[in-house]
Amino acid sequence: MHDLDKAELLSAWLEGTLSDTQRIEFERLCIEDKEFAQSVEATNNIAMQAHDYQNARVPDWNREATFTASEQPKWWQMQWLPVTSMAMSVLAIAMVISGFQIRTHDGEMTISFNQFADSQKVEQLVAARLTEFKAEQQQVLSTYAQTLQQQQLDASTQLTNYLLASSRQERREDFGEFIKFINDQRNEDQIYYAKQLNKLQQDMYTNPTDAKWVPTPSIGDVNE
Amino acid sequence: MFEKSDEQLIEKALKGNKRAWFSLIKRYETQIYNYGLRMTGANEDALDLMQEIFISVFRNLGAYRGEGSFRGWMFKIAHYRCIEFYRRKKPNQGLDDIPEIECPDDSPEQSMTSNQQSVQLVEAMQSLPLSQKTVVELKFFGQFTFEEISEQLGISVNTAKSRLYSALAKLKTLLEVEYA
Repeated sequence: MHDLDKAELLSAWLEGTLSDTQRIEFERLCIEDKEFAQSVEATNNIAMQAHDYQNARVPDWNREATFTASEQPKWWQMQWLPVTSMAMSVLAIAMVISGFQIRTHDGEMTISFNQFADSQKVEQLVAARLTEFKAEQQQVLSTYAQTLQQQQLDASTQLTNYLLASSRQERREDFGEFIKFINDQRNEDQIYYAKQLNKLQQDMYTNPTDAKWVPTPSIGDVNE
Repeated sequence: MFEKSDEQLIEKALKGNKRAWFSLIKRYETQIYNYGLRMTGANEDALDLMQEIFISVFRNLGAYRGEGSFRGWMFKIAHYRCIEFYRRKKPNQGLDDIPEIECPDDSPEQSMTSNQQSVQLVEAMQSLPLSQKTVVELKFFGQFTFEEISEQLGISVNTAKSRLYSALAKLKTLLEVEYA
């Protein structure tokens, strides 16, 4: 038998793909061909040794050197981030310009782009709110004015009462002082007149002949 | 359970994700390193070969179309890197030439398994020409089918079987001498 056929048989046996015919031929060769039988035995031994082979541990080595590409950029360094940011900005501007609106009512969502459609409604609503606000403010203002007026009235009354009371007191004090002044004046006058009379009496006793003391007859006296 | 598939890691590595690439390396470095050890018979050479293989795999990662297993595709690259490695180290030695016996200092015994028979097998493999050694490596250690081996090496299935048969005959003789 040719070596190629033996190699084929051995390979098929090694891979477990022997056909019935090949198996018969294989067994026949194992019995009759000593060299082939030894090859089969050696193959079996080698297969077992390879199976039992214990892999050596890999020593530390430079794995970095195998990575020859530039490292993947971080997510914040990626090109899509500024592009997405720009796109979102443009979208936001477009939404503002187009009057983009989302409304939810009873579980129904409505998206609209027309900003002028509801402007009339908005104006009416604003006008109503303004009217309401105006009335409310007038009411508040009126109440405030009344309160202020009442406060002013009370303050005026209190001021008047205070002025009257204080002026009355002042007048009483003024009169008191005036009377005291008059009394003092009278006392001083009485003392002065007493001194004058004493002096006169003393002068009259000292110079009783003084002509000054002799009364000069008046025309009426002469006539009498 | 939550381990990412090769394809997912490749996709991320292609986008520049270093962590994904390192995960892929971690998954296969033991196989590739031991492949290098068996193919070169020396620890330093195995490390150099492993680095070259992974650099080459990374550079060609975009060319992987998911046709066939990633492992098979990677070992195909490993094979070509191994040939390049041999050409550089031993420019005058052909793929089918029988290599000279390496110095015992470069023996893989130092860094490989303590299993004596396995060590003897690997040592015996060093005496095979590269073309036969590759088939033995892929068949017995890589557990690839002849179809896959032929596809990886760019040879016919019959050639792969024939090379294995020849290699086994030599190994049988070598191992008999060692066991004797």
